[in-house]
Amino acid sequence: MSPSNDASAPLVIVGAGQAGAMAARALRELGHAGKVVLIGDEPHAPYERPPLSKAVLADEQPPDVNLLPEPFLAQSGIVLQPGRRVVRLDAARRELHLDDGAVQAYRACLLATGGDVRVLPALPPGTPGVHYLRTLDDAQRLRAALRTARSLLVTGGGFLGLEIASTARALGLDVTVMELGPALLGRAMPPEVSRWLAARARAHGVRLHLGAQPSGLVPVAGGIAATLADAGVLRADLAVVAVGQVPNVALAREAGLLIDAGNGGIRVDERCRTSAEGVYAAGDCASGRDAATGTHRRLESWQNANEQARIAAAAMLGQDAEPPPPPWFWTDQFGCNIQMLGHGAPGLAYRLRGQLPEGRDPGKAMLFGIEGGRLVHVIAINAGGDLRAFRSVLGRPLACAPEALADPGIPAKQLARLALGPASA
Amino acid sequence: MKISILTNGNIMNWTRIAAVDEVEDDAGMPFKLDGRELALFRSGGEFFAADNVCTHQYALLTDGYVEDGCVECPLHQAQFDLRTGEPRCAPATQPIRIYPVKVEDEAVYVAVE
Repeated sequence: MSPSNDASAPLVIVGAGQAGAMAARALRELGHAGKVVLIGDEPHAPYERPPLSKAVLADEQPPDVNLLPEPFLAQSGIVLQPGRRVVRLDAARRELHLDDGAVQAYRACLLATGGDVRVLPALPPGTPGVHYLRTLDDAQRLRAALRTARSLLVTGGGFLGLEIASTARALGLDVTVMELGPALLGRAMPPEVSRWLAARARAHGVRLHLGAQPSGLVPVAGGIAATLADAGVLRADLAVVAVGQVPNVALAREAGLLIDAGNGGIRVDERCRTSAEGVYAAGDCASGRDAATGTHRRLESWQNANEQARIAAAAMLGQDAEPPPPPWFWTDQFGCNIQMLGHGAPGLAYRLRGQLPEGRDPGKAMLFGIEGGRLVHVIAINAGGDLRAFRSVLGRPLACAPEALADPGIPAKQLARLALGPASA
Repeated sequence: MKISILTNGNIMNWTRIAAVDEVEDDAGMPFKLDGRELALFRSGGEFFAADNVCTHQYALLTDGYVEDGCVECPLHQAQFDLRTGEPRCAPATQPIRIYPVKVEDEAVYVAVE
Protein backbone atom coordinates (compact mmCIF):
# COMPACT_ATOMS: atom_id res chain seq x y z
CA MET A 1 0.00 0.00 0.00
CA SER A 2 1.30 3.40 -0.88
CA PRO A 3 0.41 6.49 1.13
CA SER A 4 1.11 8.66 -1.91
CA ASN A 5 -2.49 9.64 -2.48
CA ASP A 6 -3.17 10.37 1.15
CA ALA A 7 -4.89 13.74 0.87
CA SER A 8 -4.61 14.21 4.61
CA ALA A 9 -0.79 14.10 4.51
CA PRO A 10 0.77 17.53 5.08
CA LEU A 11 2.73 19.77 2.78
CA VAL A 12 6.33 19.34 3.92
CA ILE A 13 9.21 21.73 3.36
CA VAL A 14 12.72 20.39 3.77
CA GLY A 15 15.10 23.20 4.66
CA ALA A 16 14.21 26.15 6.87
CA GLY A 17 16.26 28.90 5.26
CA GLN A 18 15.01 31.88 3.25
CA ALA A 19 13.25 29.78 0.58
CA GLY A 20 11.78 27.27 3.02
CA ALA A 21 10.46 29.87 5.44
CA MET A 22 9.04 32.10 2.72
CA ALA A 23 7.34 29.12 1.07
CA ALA A 24 5.69 28.18 4.37
CA ARG A 25 4.50 31.75 4.74
CA ALA A 26 3.29 31.83 1.13
CA LEU A 27 1.25 28.64 1.55
CA ARG A 28 -0.73 30.39 4.27
CA GLU A 29 -1.00 33.64 2.32
CA LEU A 30 -2.38 31.67 -0.63
CA GLY A 31 -5.13 30.33 1.56
CA HIS A 32 -3.91 26.84 2.41
CA ALA A 33 -5.37 25.96 5.80
CA GLY A 34 -4.04 22.39 6.03
CA LYS A 35 -0.97 21.16 7.84
CA VAL A 36 2.42 22.60 6.86
CA VAL A 37 5.61 21.08 8.26
CA LEU A 38 8.90 22.96 7.99
CA ILE A 39 11.95 20.84 8.80
CA GLY A 40 15.37 22.44 9.28
CA ASP A 41 18.65 20.88 10.36
CA GLU A 42 19.89 23.98 12.20
CA PRO A 43 18.88 24.48 15.84
CA HIS A 44 17.44 27.94 15.02
CA ALA A 45 14.16 29.24 13.71
CA PRO A 46 14.47 30.44 10.08
CA TYR A 47 16.58 33.57 9.69
CA GLU A 48 17.83 35.94 7.01
CA ARG A 49 21.35 35.42 5.76
CA PRO A 50 22.26 38.78 4.14
CA PRO A 51 23.07 40.43 7.51
CA LEU A 52 25.39 37.56 8.55
CA SER A 53 28.39 39.07 6.76
CA LYS A 54 27.57 42.62 7.89
CA ALA A 55 25.46 43.75 10.84
CA VAL A 56 25.56 40.39 12.66
CA LEU A 57 29.37 40.57 12.63
CA ALA A 58 29.72 44.26 13.27
CA ASP A 59 26.84 45.86 15.15
CA GLU A 60 27.07 46.46 18.88
CA GLN A 61 23.50 45.19 19.10
CA PRO A 62 23.14 42.50 16.39
CA PRO A 63 19.92 42.85 14.40
CA ASP A 64 16.91 40.57 14.67
CA VAL A 65 17.25 38.22 11.70
CA ASN A 66 14.27 35.97 12.47
CA LEU A 67 12.12 35.32 9.37
CA LEU A 68 9.09 33.83 11.13
CA PRO A 69 8.65 35.64 14.44
CA GLU A 70 7.01 33.61 17.20
CA PRO A 71 3.61 35.41 17.13
CA PHE A 72 3.31 34.75 13.39
CA LEU A 73 4.45 31.16 13.74
CA ALA A 74 1.95 30.45 16.51
CA GLN A 75 -0.89 32.14 14.66
CA SER A 76 -0.08 30.46 11.33
CA GLY A 77 0.01 26.96 12.77
CA ILE A 78 3.10 26.15 10.68
CA VAL A 79 4.82 23.22 12.37
CA LEU A 80 8.46 24.19 12.62
CA GLN A 81 10.84 21.34 13.38
CA PRO A 82 14.33 22.74 13.88
CA GLY A 83 17.33 20.53 14.57
CA ARG A 84 16.01 17.63 12.48
CA ARG A 85 17.68 16.19 9.42
CA VAL A 86 15.99 14.44 6.53
CA VAL A 87 18.23 11.61 5.39
CA ARG A 88 16.17 10.05 2.61
CA LEU A 89 13.44 11.06 0.20
CA ASP A 90 11.22 8.30 -1.15
CA ALA A 91 9.44 10.09 -3.96
CA ALA A 92 7.47 7.01 -5.06
CA ARG A 93 5.94 6.52 -1.61
CA ARG A 94 5.87 10.24 -0.81
CA GLU A 95 7.80 9.79 2.39
CA LEU A 96 10.70 11.50 4.08
CA HIS A 97 12.98 9.57 6.42
CA LEU A 98 14.54 11.47 9.29
CA ASP A 99 17.82 10.86 11.10
CA ASP A 100 16.02 9.71 14.24
CA GLY A 101 14.23 6.98 12.29
CA ALA A 102 10.94 8.85 12.00
CA VAL A 103 9.03 8.77 8.71
CA GLN A 104 7.11 11.82 7.55
CA ALA A 105 4.52 11.29 4.81
CA TYR A 106 3.74 14.20 2.50
CA ARG A 107 1.20 15.18 -0.08
CA ALA A 108 3.67 17.55 -1.72
CA CYS A 109 7.25 18.22 -0.69
CA LEU A 110 9.47 21.24 -1.30
CA LEU A 111 13.23 20.79 -1.25
CA ALA A 112 14.72 24.06 -0.02
CA THR A 113 17.98 22.54 1.11
CA GLY A 114 20.21 25.46 0.13
CA GLY A 115 23.92 24.88 -0.01
CA ASP A 116 27.01 24.26 2.04
CA VAL A 117 30.23 26.21 1.94
CA ARG A 118 32.85 24.98 -0.49
CA VAL A 119 35.66 23.68 1.70
CA LEU A 120 39.38 23.91 1.01
CA PRO A 121 40.62 20.35 1.69
CA ALA A 122 43.73 21.64 3.49
CA LEU A 123 41.59 23.75 5.87
CA PRO A 124 38.59 21.70 6.98
CA PRO A 125 35.98 23.45 9.15
CA GLY A 126 37.15 23.33 12.74
CA THR A 127 40.78 24.11 11.89
CA PRO A 128 41.92 26.58 14.60
CA GLY A 129 41.84 30.16 13.34
CA VAL A 130 39.91 29.23 10.19
CA HIS A 131 36.32 30.34 9.62
CA TYR A 132 33.71 29.60 7.01
CA LEU A 133 30.46 31.59 6.87
CA ARG A 134 27.10 30.17 5.99
CA THR A 135 25.04 29.79 9.16
CA LEU A 136 24.09 31.99 12.09
CA ASP A 137 26.35 29.87 14.32
CA ASP A 138 29.23 30.45 11.88
CA ALA A 139 28.53 34.20 12.04
CA GLN A 140 28.44 34.25 15.83
CA ARG A 141 31.76 32.40 16.06
CA LEU A 142 33.32 34.79 13.55
CA ARG A 143 31.84 37.79 15.36
CA ALA A 144 33.53 36.70 18.59
CA ALA A 145 36.82 35.98 16.83
CA LEU A 146 36.88 39.37 15.08
CA ARG A 147 36.70 41.08 18.46
CA THR A 148 40.03 39.73 19.65
CA ALA A 149 41.93 39.41 16.37
CA ARG A 150 44.05 42.17 14.89
CA SER A 151 44.48 40.77 11.41
CA LEU A 152 42.34 38.82 8.99
CA LEU A 153 43.15 36.96 5.80
CA VAL A 154 40.17 36.43 3.51
CA THR A 155 40.48 33.78 0.83
CA GLY A 156 38.05 34.46 -1.97
CA GLY A 157 37.29 37.84 -3.55
CA GLY A 158 33.64 37.12 -4.28
CA PHE A 159 30.63 38.93 -2.82
CA LEU A 160 30.81 37.17 0.55
CA GLY A 161 34.58 37.48 0.97
CA LEU A 162 34.49 41.17 0.10
CA GLU A 163 31.59 41.91 2.46
CA ILE A 164 33.45 40.22 5.30
CA ALA A 165 36.63 42.12 4.39
CA SER A 166 34.68 45.40 4.39
CA THR A 167 33.08 44.62 7.76
CA ALA A 168 36.43 43.63 9.30
CA ARG A 169 38.04 46.87 8.06
CA ALA A 170 35.21 48.85 9.64
CA LEU A 171 35.98 47.02 12.89
CA GLY A 172 39.59 48.15 12.57
CA LEU A 173 41.29 44.91 11.61
CA ASP A 174 44.22 44.69 9.26
CA VAL A 175 42.70 42.89 6.25
CA THR A 176 44.20 41.00 3.33
CA VAL A 177 42.12 39.47 0.54
CA MET A 178 43.48 36.71 -1.69
CA GLU A 179 41.59 35.95 -4.89
CA LEU A 180 42.53 33.14 -7.21
CA GLY A 181 41.12 34.85 -10.30
CA PRO A 182 42.67 37.82 -12.08
CA ALA A 183 39.82 40.17 -11.06
CA LEU A 184 37.30 40.70 -8.26
CA LEU A 185 33.81 39.40 -9.09
CA GLY A 186 35.18 38.50 -12.49
CA ARG A 187 32.21 36.37 -13.52
CA ALA A 188 29.50 38.77 -12.37
CA MET A 189 30.93 42.16 -13.27
CA PRO A 190 32.58 43.80 -16.29
CA PRO A 191 36.32 44.55 -16.01
CA GLU A 192 35.77 48.28 -15.40
CA VAL A 193 33.69 47.52 -12.30
CA SER A 194 36.17 44.88 -11.07
CA ARG A 195 39.00 47.41 -11.38
CA TRP A 196 36.96 50.11 -9.67
CA LEU A 197 36.02 47.79 -6.80
CA ALA A 198 39.65 46.71 -6.33
CA ALA A 199 40.66 50.38 -6.06
CA ARG A 200 37.77 51.00 -3.69
CA ALA A 201 38.79 48.11 -1.42
CA ARG A 202 42.40 49.33 -1.42
CA ALA A 203 41.26 52.88 -0.60
CA HIS A 204 39.57 51.35 2.45
CA GLY A 205 42.90 49.85 3.50
CA VAL A 206 42.48 46.28 2.22
CA ARG A 207 45.62 44.57 0.92
CA LEU A 208 44.49 42.81 -2.20
CA HIS A 209 46.28 39.95 -3.96
CA LEU A 210 44.75 38.84 -7.23
CA GLY A 211 45.78 35.62 -8.97
CA ALA A 212 46.76 34.23 -5.56
CA GLN A 213 46.68 30.45 -5.05
CA PRO A 214 44.92 29.45 -1.81
CA SER A 215 47.10 26.29 -1.72
CA GLY A 216 49.79 28.13 0.23
CA LEU A 217 47.57 28.52 3.32
CA VAL A 218 48.70 26.72 6.47
CA PRO A 219 47.62 26.94 10.11
CA VAL A 220 50.47 28.10 12.35
CA ALA A 221 50.68 28.77 16.08
CA GLY A 222 48.23 31.58 16.90
CA GLY A 223 46.95 32.05 13.38
CA ILE A 224 47.40 31.27 9.75
CA ALA A 225 50.19 31.75 7.23
CA ALA A 226 49.98 32.12 3.49
CA THR A 227 52.72 32.09 0.91
CA LEU A 228 52.07 34.47 -1.92
CA ALA A 229 54.01 34.59 -5.16
CA ASP A 230 54.06 38.39 -5.17
CA ALA A 231 54.37 39.11 -1.45
CA GLY A 232 56.23 36.27 0.27
CA VAL A 233 54.87 34.86 3.52
CA LEU A 234 51.94 36.58 5.15
CA ARG A 235 50.67 35.92 8.66
CA ALA A 236 47.23 36.70 10.11
CA ASP A 237 45.43 35.98 13.37
CA LEU A 238 42.37 34.71 11.55
CA ALA A 239 41.40 33.34 8.17
CA VAL A 240 38.03 33.35 6.50
CA VAL A 241 37.59 31.03 3.56
CA ALA A 242 34.85 32.26 1.21
CA VAL A 243 35.38 30.34 -2.01
CA GLY A 244 31.80 29.63 -2.91
CA GLN A 245 28.93 27.34 -2.20
CA VAL A 246 28.02 23.79 -3.15
CA PRO A 247 24.29 23.16 -3.59
CA ASN A 248 22.93 20.66 -1.13
CA VAL A 249 21.30 18.11 -3.45
CA ALA A 250 22.20 14.77 -1.85
CA LEU A 251 18.57 13.93 -0.98
CA ALA A 252 17.41 14.74 -4.48
CA ARG A 253 20.25 12.85 -6.15
CA GLU A 254 19.75 9.72 -4.07
CA ALA A 255 16.03 9.86 -4.81
CA GLY A 256 16.84 9.83 -8.51
CA LEU A 257 15.72 13.39 -9.27
CA LEU A 258 17.23 15.10 -12.28
CA ILE A 259 20.30 17.13 -11.30
CA ASP A 260 21.75 19.70 -13.70
CA ALA A 261 25.23 18.61 -14.67
CA GLY A 262 26.23 22.17 -15.49
CA ASN A 263 25.41 23.93 -12.23
CA GLY A 264 24.81 21.03 -9.83
CA GLY A 265 21.30 22.19 -8.92
CA ILE A 266 18.04 20.25 -8.80
CA ARG A 267 16.40 20.72 -12.19
CA VAL A 268 13.00 22.44 -11.97
CA ASP A 269 10.57 23.92 -14.48
CA GLU A 270 8.96 27.40 -14.43
CA ARG A 271 6.69 26.25 -11.62
CA CYS A 272 9.54 24.83 -9.53
CA ARG A 273 8.51 21.22 -10.20
CA THR A 274 11.35 18.68 -10.12
CA SER A 275 11.46 15.55 -12.26
CA ALA A 276 9.57 13.64 -9.51
CA GLU A 277 5.83 13.96 -9.11
CA GLY A 278 4.88 15.90 -5.98
CA VAL A 279 8.41 17.13 -5.34
CA TYR A 280 9.36 20.79 -5.80
CA ALA A 281 12.61 22.66 -5.28
CA ALA A 282 13.42 26.33 -4.59
CA GLY A 283 16.31 28.59 -3.64
CA ASP A 284 20.06 28.01 -3.80
CA CYS A 285 19.65 24.26 -4.44
CA ALA A 286 17.39 24.65 -7.49
CA SER A 287 18.34 25.02 -11.12
CA GLY A 288 15.45 27.09 -12.42
CA ARG A 289 14.30 27.56 -15.97
CA ASP A 290 14.52 31.05 -17.37
CA ALA A 291 11.35 31.46 -19.43
CA ALA A 292 12.92 34.08 -21.71
CA THR A 293 15.92 32.01 -22.80
CA GLY A 294 14.86 28.46 -21.96
CA THR A 295 18.20 27.93 -20.21
CA HIS A 296 18.62 26.70 -16.64
CA ARG A 297 20.43 28.69 -13.98
CA ARG A 298 21.11 28.19 -10.33
CA LEU A 299 20.93 31.54 -8.56
CA GLU A 300 22.33 32.08 -5.09
CA SER A 301 20.36 35.14 -4.09
CA TRP A 302 17.90 36.36 -1.52
CA GLN A 303 15.49 37.49 -4.22
CA ASN A 304 15.58 34.17 -6.06
CA ALA A 305 14.88 32.30 -2.83
CA ASN A 306 11.85 34.52 -2.19
CA GLU A 307 10.54 34.32 -5.75
CA GLN A 308 10.94 30.57 -6.16
CA ALA A 309 9.39 30.05 -2.72
CA ARG A 310 6.33 32.01 -3.85
CA ILE A 311 6.09 30.16 -7.17
CA ALA A 312 6.67 26.71 -5.62
CA ALA A 313 4.06 27.34 -2.92
CA ALA A 314 1.47 28.23 -5.56
CA ALA A 315 2.37 25.15 -7.61
CA MET A 316 2.08 22.90 -4.54
CA LEU A 317 -1.49 24.17 -4.16
CA GLY A 318 -2.26 23.81 -7.86
CA GLN A 319 -2.47 27.58 -8.27
CA ASP A 320 -0.93 29.82 -10.91
CA ALA A 321 1.66 32.39 -9.93
CA GLU A 322 2.93 35.58 -11.49
CA PRO A 323 6.24 34.98 -13.27
CA PRO A 324 9.28 36.26 -11.36
CA PRO A 325 10.69 39.74 -11.94
CA PRO A 326 14.17 39.96 -13.50
CA PRO A 327 17.02 38.65 -11.33
CA TRP A 328 18.10 41.25 -8.81
CA PHE A 329 21.03 41.17 -6.45
CA TRP A 330 22.65 43.54 -3.98
CA THR A 331 25.83 43.76 -1.98
CA ASP A 332 26.84 46.35 0.63
CA GLN A 333 30.58 46.90 0.90
CA PHE A 334 33.19 49.62 1.32
CA GLY A 335 30.54 52.29 1.79
CA CYS A 336 28.67 51.37 -1.39
CA ASN A 337 25.38 49.69 -2.10
CA ILE A 338 25.89 47.83 -5.38
CA GLN A 339 22.88 46.37 -7.17
CA MET A 340 22.42 44.35 -10.33
CA LEU A 341 19.48 43.59 -12.58
CA GLY A 342 19.80 40.73 -15.07
CA HIS A 343 23.04 39.00 -15.91
CA GLY A 344 26.32 40.01 -17.49
CA ALA A 345 28.17 37.97 -20.08
CA PRO A 346 31.82 37.87 -21.12
CA GLY A 347 32.62 40.67 -23.54
CA LEU A 348 29.33 42.52 -22.97
CA ALA A 349 29.68 46.25 -23.74
CA TYR A 350 28.52 48.75 -21.10
CA ARG A 351 27.48 52.40 -21.11
CA LEU A 352 28.41 54.33 -17.99
CA ARG A 353 26.01 56.92 -16.54
CA GLY A 354 27.66 59.23 -14.02
CA GLN A 355 31.09 58.53 -12.58
CA LEU A 356 32.29 55.60 -10.51
CA PRO A 357 32.92 57.14 -7.07
CA GLU A 358 36.64 57.50 -6.50
CA GLY A 359 38.57 56.56 -3.38
CA ARG A 360 36.27 56.59 -0.36
CA ASP A 361 33.84 59.13 -1.83
CA PRO A 362 30.15 58.45 -1.91
CA GLY A 363 28.55 59.20 -5.24
CA LYS A 364 26.46 57.27 -7.68
CA ALA A 365 26.78 55.66 -11.06
CA MET A 366 25.07 53.15 -13.29
CA LEU A 367 26.26 50.82 -16.03
CA PHE A 368 24.03 49.49 -18.77
CA GLY A 369 25.02 46.26 -20.50
CA ILE A 370 23.51 46.12 -23.99
CA GLU A 371 23.48 43.15 -26.33
CA GLY A 372 21.76 42.99 -29.71
CA GLY A 373 19.93 46.25 -29.02
CA ARG A 374 18.49 44.99 -25.74
CA LEU A 375 19.30 45.94 -22.19
CA VAL A 376 20.46 42.73 -20.49
CA HIS A 377 22.38 43.87 -17.41
CA VAL A 378 22.16 46.97 -15.22
CA ILE A 379 24.61 47.72 -12.42
CA ALA A 380 23.91 50.54 -9.96
CA ILE A 381 26.35 51.94 -7.45
CA ASN A 382 24.50 53.86 -4.72
CA ALA A 383 21.65 54.28 -7.20
CA GLY A 384 19.15 51.57 -6.28
CA GLY A 385 16.14 53.82 -6.80
CA ASP A 386 17.36 54.64 -10.30
CA LEU A 387 18.05 50.99 -11.07
CA ARG A 388 14.51 50.08 -10.07
CA ALA A 389 13.14 52.21 -12.90
CA PHE A 390 14.81 49.88 -15.42
CA ARG A 391 13.16 46.66 -14.25
CA SER A 392 10.55 46.92 -16.98
CA VAL A 393 13.16 47.81 -19.63
CA LEU A 394 15.33 44.73 -19.08
CA GLY A 395 15.26 42.26 -21.97
CA ARG A 396 13.24 44.60 -24.20
CA PRO A 397 14.51 46.17 -27.42
CA LEU A 398 15.83 49.64 -26.62
CA ALA A 399 13.69 52.40 -28.12
CA CYS A 400 16.44 54.98 -27.61
CA ALA A 401 20.05 55.24 -28.72
CA PRO A 402 22.31 53.35 -26.27
CA GLU A 403 24.34 56.52 -25.65
CA ALA A 404 21.21 58.25 -24.35
CA LEU A 405 21.38 55.96 -21.31
CA ALA A 406 24.73 57.51 -20.39
CA ASP A 407 23.20 60.97 -19.95
CA PRO A 408 23.03 61.69 -16.21
CA GLY A 409 21.07 64.86 -16.98
CA ILE A 410 17.89 62.88 -17.67
CA PRO A 411 16.12 61.55 -14.53
CA ALA A 412 16.12 57.74 -14.32
CA LYS A 413 12.36 57.32 -14.63
CA GLN A 414 12.21 59.53 -17.69
CA LEU A 415 15.15 57.66 -19.20
CA ALA A 416 13.44 54.32 -18.59
CA ARG A 417 10.32 55.59 -20.37
CA LEU A 418 12.48 56.76 -23.25
CA ALA A 419 14.15 53.34 -23.42
CA LEU A 420 10.78 51.56 -23.45
CA GLY A 421 9.48 53.78 -26.23
CA PRO A 422 5.93 54.78 -27.09
CA ALA A 423 4.75 51.16 -26.77
CA SER A 424 5.01 51.55 -23.01
CA ALA A 425 2.59 54.45 -22.84
CA MET B 1 4.54 78.89 7.74
CA LYS B 2 2.63 77.20 10.56
CA ILE B 3 -1.12 77.18 11.10
CA SER B 4 -2.84 75.62 14.09
CA ILE B 5 -6.36 74.32 13.54
CA LEU B 6 -8.64 72.43 15.88
CA THR B 7 -9.70 69.18 14.20
CA ASN B 8 -11.72 66.50 15.97
CA GLY B 9 -10.76 68.04 19.24
CA ASN B 10 -7.03 67.91 18.44
CA ILE B 11 -4.85 70.86 17.62
CA MET B 12 -3.31 70.17 14.21
CA ASN B 13 -0.17 72.13 13.51
CA TRP B 14 -0.02 72.37 9.78
CA THR B 15 3.28 73.31 8.18
CA ARG B 16 3.57 74.35 4.57
CA ILE B 17 6.08 71.99 2.92
CA ALA B 18 5.93 72.71 -0.79
CA ALA B 19 3.95 74.13 -3.64
CA VAL B 20 1.90 71.45 -5.40
CA ASP B 21 4.00 71.64 -8.55
CA GLU B 22 7.30 71.25 -6.67
CA VAL B 23 6.78 67.49 -6.37
CA GLU B 24 6.44 65.43 -9.52
CA ASP B 25 4.06 62.53 -9.69
CA ASP B 26 5.53 59.22 -8.49
CA ALA B 27 8.37 61.02 -6.78
CA GLY B 28 9.30 62.27 -3.34
CA MET B 29 10.92 65.26 -1.72
CA PRO B 30 12.85 65.13 1.56
CA PHE B 31 12.24 67.70 4.30
CA LYS B 32 13.09 68.16 7.96
CA LEU B 33 10.68 69.11 10.68
CA ASP B 34 11.37 69.25 14.41
CA GLY B 35 14.67 67.50 13.71
CA ARG B 36 12.96 64.57 12.00
CA GLU B 37 13.83 63.32 8.52
CA LEU B 38 10.54 63.26 6.64
CA ALA B 39 9.36 62.91 3.09
CA LEU B 40 6.58 64.31 0.97
CA PHE B 41 5.55 61.83 -1.73
CA ARG B 42 3.18 62.21 -4.65
CA SER B 43 1.67 59.19 -6.34
CA GLY B 44 -1.37 58.99 -8.59
CA GLY B 45 -1.83 62.72 -8.02
CA GLU B 46 -2.19 62.25 -4.25
CA PHE B 47 0.20 63.56 -1.62
CA PHE B 48 1.58 61.56 1.30
CA ALA B 49 3.89 62.52 4.16
CA ALA B 50 5.97 59.88 5.87
CA ASP B 51 9.16 59.12 7.73
CA ASN B 52 11.95 59.27 5.19
CA VAL B 53 14.18 56.64 6.79
CA CYS B 54 13.67 52.96 6.01
CA THR B 55 12.88 50.85 9.07
CA HIS B 56 15.16 48.06 7.85
CA GLN B 57 18.46 49.88 7.46
CA TYR B 58 19.43 53.53 7.20
CA ALA B 59 18.48 54.86 3.76
CA LEU B 60 16.40 57.79 2.58
CA LEU B 61 13.21 56.61 0.93
CA THR B 62 13.15 59.71 -1.27
CA ASP B 63 16.19 58.14 -3.02
CA GLY B 64 13.97 55.16 -3.79
CA TYR B 65 11.22 54.37 -6.24
CA VAL B 66 7.60 55.53 -6.03
CA GLU B 67 4.73 53.79 -7.84
CA ASP B 68 1.09 52.88 -7.18
CA GLY B 69 0.94 54.52 -3.76
CA CYS B 70 4.06 52.68 -2.60
CA VAL B 71 7.66 53.68 -1.99
CA GLU B 72 10.49 51.23 -2.45
CA CYS B 73 13.70 51.63 -0.48
CA PRO B 74 16.77 52.30 -2.64
CA LEU B 75 18.95 49.86 -0.68
CA HIS B 76 17.06 46.58 -0.57
CA GLN B 77 13.70 47.23 -2.26
CA ALA B 78 11.60 46.98 0.89
CA GLN B 79 8.19 48.46 -0.01
CA PHE B 80 5.96 50.63 2.16
CA ASP B 81 2.33 51.50 1.59
CA LEU B 82 2.11 55.30 1.61
CA ARG B 83 -1.45 55.27 3.01
CA THR B 84 -0.77 53.06 6.01
CA GLY B 85 3.02 52.96 6.31
CA GLU B 86 2.90 49.16 6.50
CA PRO B 87 5.70 47.20 4.84
CA ARG B 88 4.46 45.37 1.76
CA CYS B 89 7.44 43.09 1.35
CA ALA B 90 10.68 41.95 2.95
CA PRO B 91 13.23 42.80 4.15
CA ALA B 92 11.36 45.47 6.17
CA THR B 93 9.04 44.24 8.90
CA GLN B 94 8.28 47.50 10.76
CA PRO B 95 6.04 50.27 9.37
CA ILE B 96 7.08 53.84 8.65
CA ARG B 97 4.98 56.62 10.21
CA ILE B 98 2.49 58.43 8.03
CA TYR B 99 1.42 62.02 8.76
CA PRO B 100 -1.72 63.98 7.83
CA VAL B 101 -1.47 66.00 4.62
CA LYS B 102 -3.71 68.65 3.13
CA VAL B 103 -3.60 70.71 -0.04
CA GLU B 104 -4.74 74.31 0.07
CA ASP B 105 -4.18 77.14 -2.37
CA GLU B 106 -1.79 75.05 -4.47
CA ALA B 107 0.37 74.29 -1.44
CA VAL B 108 0.91 71.07 0.53
CA TYR B 109 0.70 71.16 4.33
CA VAL B 110 1.79 68.44 6.74
CA ALA B 111 0.83 68.00 10.38
CA VAL B 112 3.49 66.38 12.53
CA GLU B 113 2.80 65.72 16.17
